Amino acid sequence: MADWWKFWEDGEGAETALGGSIAAAGLALANQGYDRLGDIGDKAYARMSGKFSDTGELLTPGLAQELQGMMEFQPYTVTTATGGEFGMAPGESTVDAAGNVVPGEMNYQLDLSEKEKLFQDAQLGRAESMFGLASVDPAAREQQVFQRMMDSINPQRERERLALEERLQGQGRLGVQTSMFGGTPEGLAMAKAQEEAYSKNMLGAMEFAGQEQQRQAQLGSGMLASSYIPQSQLLNAVQPGMTAAEQRRQAISEQTQSYGETYATGLEALLQAAYGQANIAGGIGSSMTTAALGSLFS
Amino acid sequence: MAQELQSINLVAPAFKGINTEDSALAQDPSFAEVADNAVIDQRGRIAARKGLSVTTTNKTVLGSGKIRAIKEFKNDAATTKVFSVGNNKIISGTTTLVDETPGSYSISADDWKMVNFNNSIYFFQRGYAPLIYNTIASGTSGGANTDVVLLSSVNSASGVTSAIYGNEVLAAYGRLWTADFAADKSTIYWSDLLSGHKWNGGSSGSIDISKVWPDGYDEIVALSAHNNFLIVFGKRSIVVYSGADNPATMALQDTVAGVGCISRDTVQHTGLDVLFLSQTGLKSFGRTIQEKSMPISNLSGTITKDIIRLLTTETEDFKSVYHPEENFYLVTFIGQDVTLCFDIRGTLDDGSYRATRWPGTSFTSYVRQDNGDLLIGSALGIGKYSGYLDNNLEYRFKYSSPELTFGDAAKLKFLKKLRPTIVGGSGALVFLSWTYDFKESSGSTTYTLASQSTAEFNVDEFNIGQFSTGEFTSRIPVNTSGSGGTLAINMEADINGKELSLQEINVLALMGRTI
Repeated sequence: MADWWKFWEDGEGAETALGGSIAAAGLALANQGYDRLGDIGDKAYARMSGKFSDTGELLTPGLAQELQGMMEFQPYTVTTATGGEFGMAPGESTVDAAGNVVPGEMNYQLDLSEKEKLFQDAQLGRAESMFGLASVDPAAREQQVFQRMMDSINPQRERERLALEERLQGQGRLGVQTSMFGGTPEGLAMAKAQEEAYSKNMLGAMEFAGQEQQRQAQLGSGMLASSYIPQSQLLNAVQPGMTAAEQRRQAISEQTQSYGETYATGLEALLQAAYGQANIAGGIGSSMTTAALGSLFS
Repeated sequence: MAQELQSINLVAPAFKGINTEDSALAQDPSFAEVADNAVIDQRGRIAARKGLSVTTTNKTVLGSGKIRAIKEFKNDAATTKVFSVGNNKIISGTTTLVDETPGSYSISADDWKMVNFNNSIYFFQRGYAPLIYNTIASGTSGGANTDVVLLSSVNSASGVTSAIYGNEVLAAYGRLWTADFAADKSTIYWSDLLSGHKWNGGSSGSIDISKVWPDGYDEIVALSAHNNFLIVFGKRSIVVYSGADNPATMALQDTVAGVGCISRDTVQHTGLDVLFLSQTGLKSFGRTIQEKSMPISNLSGTITKDIIRLLTTETEDFKSVYHPEENFYLVTFIGQDVTLCFDIRGTLDDGSYRATRWPGTSFTSYVRQDNGDLLIGSALGIGKYSGYLDNNLEYRFKYSSPELTFGDAAKLKFLKKLRPTIVGGSGALVFLSWTYDFKESSGSTTYTLASQSTAEFNVDEFNIGQFSTGEFTSRIPVNTSGSGGTLAINMEADINGKELSLQEINVLALMGRTI
């Protein structure tokens, strides 16, 4: 297109010289308008996207770079009342093989306070211990519990046995052996009662050991769960912090958006003005050219 | 100056029996120093005992042995059979003795005890398998047998092992009880209820009373049932259990230390009491229970030392019998051939029974039959306590008074005449003697009681009735001589088919100077 007016420049007559001059002036004006539009576009581009060198380096940052900086993530940290901390920050950006900048990953950091950490470790240790107890063979515990139960009743059993022995001796019946009862009816009743107590205790010990293991497992679970309470509380505390950060981010975003929109509006106004000017110049030049060309060919 | 002749009557002399415990001097003349082959008769006089009327006519199976125990078997079918033991045999019958020993059953001792229980008679002896005789089929006695058989062989017998081969057996409270084993002197076994052949299962059982003896150790000698008590006689102590009708729960009621029983066969029931011979004489259990550990009334307090002497020298065994019809309890020291007779109708002031002595009877066992007869076992077989001859032989009745002082031992007595009043004894030879100052000097005489004549009444050719005048009494005076501070009167009489009792002795004596 840059060569279309060369016809003019190469004019063929005098009468056409004026017309040609006018046309040339019109074309020059139109060309000026045209160039101005180009400049405006360049300027708008530069203001919006930044100015880059031919090698692609950013020479002058535009609105995009400015907004990018304004919209960039702001690291923040939430600290609970008990000293736990939750932090969020972007990692280092990297450049991939194609030369593109790869933003760094976000790093989320949960840190319990020292007390909470001690508590957590202790609870985890206890939970481990409880789970350890809950997973052992119950037979040994049953025997242990049974022995303790028997130990607790053995003195009474012994007293009862001695009392019966003394009573039988007092009655002269210590040496009684019968086909019906083995020994004496009282002796049989006591032996029966003791055996029942023995069996009951045995079953009780088995039941107790089972229940105890369940309790230990439950306790372990409870301790394990309670060991995560500081962390859970920390996470609970993070939510309001995150909300506040989000609100801030939104505010910044909105500010940035407003800034960008305002900036773009101003730029657009400038461009409109420049566009108008270019149109005027172009219109005049076009009119002049048309008029010159019209008189020339009429 | 001549002294007046004094007449002193010894009325019913010796009616209190023998007394060798109190001082012979100044003793109550109602006692006797010697009363041999005597009893206290129904009128309270000392009298000759009855004799032995031997029933046995054929004692081949007994050989030279003696009848060591007798028992009358009776059952619900009114079957009666007299069993006895001797010459290492089980014997039956009273006239012709029959060997009832089970085949191939070897016996080398005759210390059997027999008891009736539930239509059966059981034989127990230490170390021997028990035997049974039962003629009625019954599930509770192992079925019927026509012979004496091993208890272990009867139907459904159980537990009849050497553990229950006891020397003592008792039928009481619906079961058999046995004790006194060869190697166990403190355990009592009892059979199942109503089943003397079942010694395990059911309600059978045992009790070891070795920890119960009041003085730490003793050995069971005898068992007895009395007043719902089970009485366990040890050698030196007695243990009493109440509630023996349920042996599993029977409880010790009482213990008596220091009094025991010397032999199983001295225990006899009198209805109110249980009599037994202890190492210090005849005791009564009923009184022992009442008095508990208080001093026990001695039923043989007048002859305690005599009994102890007999006990210490006895080498064989003891047999006893209680005979309510004759009102006596006899206990025989077989090895010494002495029987003591205790009159149980009443007691003396010190609680003793009146005692007499029967030496040389050769009696070796007794049993009272249901008809009241007293059967006596001996080397002659079996006889009855009846008549006044011992197997058709006379025996001697003896009486000796204690030393009589007539109120003043310091004065010299000149015995002038004795006039015993003797009831019965028709034709008996009487030997009368008197001794002064503990036999320092003596005199004697004999005479024969007149034979009691019988009168013939309503004599005719075909019907002659003979009648006596009833009780024959003789009061023959005997002149005496000598003098002394104390006087003892002795009388002996050969009992030859007639009863004899001494009613009184009239003494005519002259009191002299003070010695």
